[in-house]
Amino acid sequence: MSASLPCLGYGLGLRSAYYQQILDQSPSVDWFEVVSENFMVPGGKALYYLDAIAERFPLVMHGVSLSIGGPHALDPDYLQQLKRLADRVKPAWISDHLCWSRGNAHQLHDLLPLPYTEESLHYVAGRVRQVQDVLQRPLVLENVSSYVRSAGDDFSEWEFLEALSRLSDCELLLDVNNVYVSSRNHGFDPWTFIQGLPAHKIRQLHLAGHSDYGDYVIDTHDHPVSDPVWALYQKTLDYLGPVATLLERDDHFPPFEELLTELQKARELGESVLARRQKCA
Amino acid sequence: MRLNEWQQSFERYLSGASSAANVALGASLIGGPTLNVRTGLAIYHNAYQARLQEVLRGDYSAVLNWLGDEEFERLAAAYIRQNPSVHYSLRWFGKGFEAFIRQHLVPEQSAPLAELAALEWAFTLAFDAPPGTPLSVQDMAELAPHDWPTLKVSPSPSLQWLECAFNSVALWRSAKEETPFPGSTGLNTPCVVVICRNELVCQYRSLEPEEANAIKGLFERDWNFAELCSELTVIYGEGAPLQAVTWLKQWIHDGWLQRGKS
Repeated sequence: MSASLPCLGYGLGLRSAYYQQILDQSPSVDWFEVVSENFMVPGGKALYYLDAIAERFPLVMHGVSLSIGGPHALDPDYLQQLKRLADRVKPAWISDHLCWSRGNAHQLHDLLPLPYTEESLHYVAGRVRQVQDVLQRPLVLENVSSYVRSAGDDFSEWEFLEALSRLSDCELLLDVNNVYVSSRNHGFDPWTFIQGLPAHKIRQLHLAGHSDYGDYVIDTHDHPVSDPVWALYQKTLDYLGPVATLLERDDHFPPFEELLTELQKARELGESVLARRQKCA
Repeated sequence: MRLNEWQQSFERYLSGASSAANVALGASLIGGPTLNVRTGLAIYHNAYQARLQEVLRGDYSAVLNWLGDEEFERLAAAYIRQNPSVHYSLRWFGKGFEAFIRQHLVPEQSAPLAELAALEWAFTLAFDAPPGTPLSVQDMAELAPHDWPTLKVSPSPSLQWLECAFNSVALWRSAKEETPFPGSTGLNTPCVVVICRNELVCQYRSLEPEEANAIKGLFERDWNFAELCSELTVIYGEGAPLQAVTWLKQWIHDGWLQRGKS
């Protein structure tokens, strides 16, 4: 059973294309997830809408630049800005990715996979604790999609996430689409991945679309959620019980109503699974 | 390979020109049943280039409109090679594009293009600058008569100032309005353009030389209201105070001013 805190329900990624409609329509969305870096700015439209939307909806902060596994020292300026933003929007939790996005010399602006080795595990766990000391709360880390993996791994990705959450007390954001994408690219069973995670540490789920090129799949967030991912999502909720679910779209933005319809699908599937689960309990 | 060494190798690969990886990096990785290491790495390599190209296309849409897709892509690729990103936010990646254009191209070509890039970057800076505390008409109405002569103002944090020697504003407008590209030409007289965010909307205005001089005096030479009126007397004679008040009202309306130190 996951989610030791109340489940937020069904949310959407907050994107600028929909700011005004969110305020005008007060849509049936339980919460919004904001990309932290988009609001680490001194002023302007983004912060105006952030404040206005924060007054009406619960928010969660989701970063892309922490680079928790990067070879560089953690950026104190970044962490302070993250903390300031958290003080401003009072998010239910703060997440980022189990990845590295900055190298020794430059920012790489991607969610790059780590080798799942003992060395990485202890390195990342130490950095997670540093971040948690600054933020004064558990960090929530998301599994990323990947297209290569290290030949010298000591752990599977799910074993690594389990060990990391145990060593560092971080929590997990399970991206169901990313599990599916990586399972296709690397040839593992997605259900083995999900069952291998510590269920009580899973704070949130992500749903998104991908691009299927036959021989491989790329996590593009520019399509509706695919049928295999919906199926995996239902199985995941049946296994975990209620967990906050977030629908992401980062490109080819459809009309807002289409996204709301897709979120409604997540809600109906989720509620049906959870109702059935309760009956069987 | 140790973690740090492996990451250095990966970083060199991503920022390199070729999507073919060196042997050691390739050997440190494994692919999947139908995704080989070469293709998997190329996905990351392409994504790195594409993401940075996309940022520049977004920040410099008028430069793109001028150059067209292919030439812009070449220029952007050269910029990406020479100026890898150093800030965690992609919002700052295009900061050096104007300077790069000036260095990278011959002066005849670079001067108008760099000016257009500077204009576009000025909008970017205005867009998310701090709000400051703009002066309002109400503030002025409440100003005691004896405080007027020593009144000083400073620019709103979002205010950007650009001296244009070319028709960059027309080029920028044609890109935004998707009208035919008017062609780049030099201006007979250089023109000052002010870009500023008023409430949430970025606005711009080209200034006549007299107004540009007046506002430059306030911001750069620290004139107070009495000094502004005195300077304007040369051109406007007894009408100088009226002209000063008219401009002041306009600048306040446009959100350009905040209270300076008296």
